[in-house]
Amino acid sequence: MINLGKDLSRLLSKDKVKTDPEDLYSYASDSIRYYAKNNPDAVILPSSAEDVSTVIKYANKNSIPVTPRGAGSGLAGGCVPVDGGIVLDMKRMNSIVEVNRGNMTAITEAGTVLSNFHRAVEKENLFYPPDPQSMSVCTLGGNIATRAGGPRGVKYGTTGNYVLGLEFVLPDGEIINTGGTCVKNSVGYDITHLMTGSEGTLGVITKVISRLIPLPPCKKTIIVGCKTAELAAQIVSTITANGAVPAMLEYISQGATGFLNSYIKTPLISEMEAYLFLELDGIESQIENEANKIRSICKDLGVSDIRVIEDAKEAKSYWDARSKLQPILQSFFKKLIVEDVTVPRDKFPELIRALPEISAATGLLVGAAGHAGDGNVHPSVLLGEVNDETNKKSEEAVDMIINEAISLGGCISGEHGIGLHKSAYLEKSIGKRQVELLKQIKKAIDPDGIMNPGKIWTREAK
Amino acid sequence: MRDFESYKDFMEKCSHCSYCEATCPVYLEDLLETHVARARMELIRAVLVDEEMPVTDRFKEIIDRCLLCTNCRQTCPVNVPVEEIVIAARNKLYKGKRMGMIKRKLLKQIMENRGISGAMGKLSSIAKVAGVKNIPDIPSKSFDDQYEAGTYPPEGEVRAKVVYYAGCATNTMFPETGDIVMKVLKKNGIEVVIPEGLSCCGIPAISEGDLNTASEMIKRNIEVLSKTDTDIIITDCTSCGMTFKEKVVNSLDVDDEFKEKAIAVSMKFREITEYLMDIGLTEKIKPVKEKVTYHVPCHRGWSETVSDAPRKLMEMIPDLTVVEMEHPEKCCGAGGAFFMENKELSEGIRSKKTGEIKQTGASILITQCPSCRSYIGNSSDNDLKIMHPLNLLLLK
Ligand SMILES: Cc1cc2nc3c(=O)[nH]c(=O)nc-3n(C[C@H](O)[C@H](O)[C@H](O)COP(=O)(O)OP(=O)(O)OC[C@H]3O[C@@H](n4cnc5c(N)ncnc54)[C@H](O)[C@@H]3O)c2cc1C
Ligand code: SF4
Ligand code: SF4
Repeated sequence: MINLGKDLSRLLSKDKVKTDPEDLYSYASDSIRYYAKNNPDAVILPSSAEDVSTVIKYANKNSIPVTPRGAGSGLAGGCVPVDGGIVLDMKRMNSIVEVNRGNMTAITEAGTVLSNFHRAVEKENLFYPPDPQSMSVCTLGGNIATRAGGPRGVKYGTTGNYVLGLEFVLPDGEIINTGGTCVKNSVGYDITHLMTGSEGTLGVITKVISRLIPLPPCKKTIIVGCKTAELAAQIVSTITANGAVPAMLEYISQGATGFLNSYIKTPLISEMEAYLFLELDGIESQIENEANKIRSICKDLGVSDIRVIEDAKEAKSYWDARSKLQPILQSFFKKLIVEDVTVPRDKFPELIRALPEISAATGLLVGAAGHAGDGNVHPSVLLGEVNDETNKKSEEAVDMIINEAISLGGCISGEHGIGLHKSAYLEKSIGKRQVELLKQIKKAIDPDGIMNPGKIWTREAK
Repeated sequence: MRDFESYKDFMEKCSHCSYCEATCPVYLEDLLETHVARARMELIRAVLVDEEMPVTDRFKEIIDRCLLCTNCRQTCPVNVPVEEIVIAARNKLYKGKRMGMIKRKLLKQIMENRGISGAMGKLSSIAKVAGVKNIPDIPSKSFDDQYEAGTYPPEGEVRAKVVYYAGCATNTMFPETGDIVMKVLKKNGIEVVIPEGLSCCGIPAISEGDLNTASEMIKRNIEVLSKTDTDIIITDCTSCGMTFKEKVVNSLDVDDEFKEKAIAVSMKFREITEYLMDIGLTEKIKPVKEKVTYHVPCHRGWSETVSDAPRKLMEMIPDLTVVEMEHPEKCCGAGGAFFMENKELSEGIRSKKTGEIKQTGASILITQCPSCRSYIGNSSDNDLKIMHPLNLLLLK
């Protein structure tokens, strides 16, 4: 009989190994409480790639599942230890090894909290754009493992666009280095970007080499109130078609605006069916130019509630409120199911139009807030009561949302990853052959299947 | 007090977002998620509400290892009153008897006297000489010794009248802060009433989950303060402010007849710096040729302006150079008496703070919290001057 706690305490140090029931219980879920099913059997807090390698070798030898975990802020159940085993909490590996101005790259340990990384590079006048709203807590490792995005995706893309290389512990415990600090690399298969988005199923990211860009010197926030959701969608597509590229272009539906008002000075008007939050960035003249363009687009479409926020503190309050929206909504409902579908940008209006119909068909509240500028919407199904009937209805609603997105040429996840949450829809999104390919890749890299089992695809396909 | 069950709804409000990881000083020391509010809420529910897990030493340790600093609550998008839930959990776990009887008696006596003074003050100096650590220096004369209860008229015309509630720390550890408060108010045309018969605000007992002793103190204070006839009660201590604003009412029994009076008193509480920034200073401000930095006390969530006010005041002082540290709102690790039981943890938190202070190159640290002043002041790795913001107005 193996004694996980004892063995691992011997291999690492005692302080890095937790097996008290209270500690195990604390690592059972991510941001979505209802994913908690099993506690892990041990929580390990490594402080180096060598520690990780030691744990993985031990786990491999004893066929113990290993689930890497960053902040546990995920929304797809990715870091949930469905089969128990070891949870590897990566947050103690949090040093920023290097910010290289000359090469515009940075090297960080995978447990580094994103906002700490932002601060460090911005001190050097450099910019790392990916900005999941959970940035005050989420880790770079978690971001890479889920290919996280955020509002700035519309102009700057998502995490995947900024990963140049990784230090990675393979499921047999070997430590490899992929990519590097060169901004160009065309050597063989792109292992770096295979690991990016692998959700902890192919091994453990221990270090990250990121590409940086110059920090835009100025920014400006614009808030637009839209009488109809249709109008908001029209504004979004007109802005895009006119070649103005805001750094952020967020869509917030009527139901959500009221929840934000306690955080901002001038309340959002409840009659508006939707609000758009925009941020422009760049040099001042360019921002002015874009702001004028957006103003005239809005005017031409008959919009009168346009706020250009000059005060930096006030602007920040809108974005802070935006980043709190999901937790706030969650607290008012018994259950909230957040989807992450993404459609081609010009199909955004059609997706928005479909949501009230889904709501009407299922009798459930279906809200939408999301990164409208890049076609990534987070339709959320909100349940006041949880019972068999509402659960069934919510499944129907989710089916409809997913079907609609796919029929518009979209995908089932823009940034949260598949995890447990969307595995049942994987085949629908990418087809049988690609799912098989994924499984073959998994088998080649992790033949014994110890890394984060039960994720991305379902064990029994739906 | 609110019965424990009624906190269940608040616990359920937790959306599991994990945002509290960003600011919990205890969690940020060992980065173990068990110590972050999200997990605390789940564990308290599992052990004390649903009773699906037993009470263990580890569980007690988790409940004890909370500074009640409110940083999680201030970060929390849905304002889960984490520290109140922890207090309620302590109350349910220990029924006010976490400490041994002798310690409890001593604490009660200290609270009744608003601090360690007189004979006890002498005792503490002896203990210090004898090598007992973690005991702050106690000045020989308390604030009460210097200022008897009564009404103190200002110089010149009376612009306003306030009651001054000087808490335990000001009374016995930092009587010079009380003296400065009195002098600044006097110079700025504000009449001050010092009432007779005040006790500790109750926070040490509340922190212990000893709500019986806390309500004794609270009732005594409310009785005294509700008899005064001013619209404003000032405090120089952010923790006393928080207790009166947020904790007093919730620490009383649900049907306590004192509740109404307590609410009326609590509405009147202001921190002295924010009060003065509102009403304005009439006395000319003297230049101060120093570099200062401001440590924002954790117990700031009870007022929107309590952390802006010192910054505003510092801006008004000629020749003063103000340098912000990287995380002015990060906890110093003291947590009232928390540091005595959690030496290593608190010292770890403190050393990050003192490191940031040092980086500013400031020679003076400003903060309204006496517990922070004492604890940061006792760290061996800095020789800073540490003072309440009002001190800046009377520096020689
Ligand atoms: C309120 C809120 C707002 C959010 N907003 C956004 C948003 O705007 N955009 C967005 O993209 N996401 C958002 N998220 C989701 C979440 O924050 C992201 O998915 C984030 O990338 C997760 O990072 P984490 O460190 O918390 O990882 P975790 O949740 O701990 O883990 C996520 C996945 O990554 C794997 N993993 C973690 N670390 C490693 C590692 N070192 N090596 C290998 N695998 C690893 C885990 O096994 C798991 O599969 C939000 C979440 C919340 C709660
Ligand atoms: S009150 Fe302070 S120490 Fe306690 S859980 Fe909240 S942030 Fe952590
Ligand atoms: S920040 Fe608040 S809602 Fe979010 S996990 Fe922490 S306690 Fe819960």
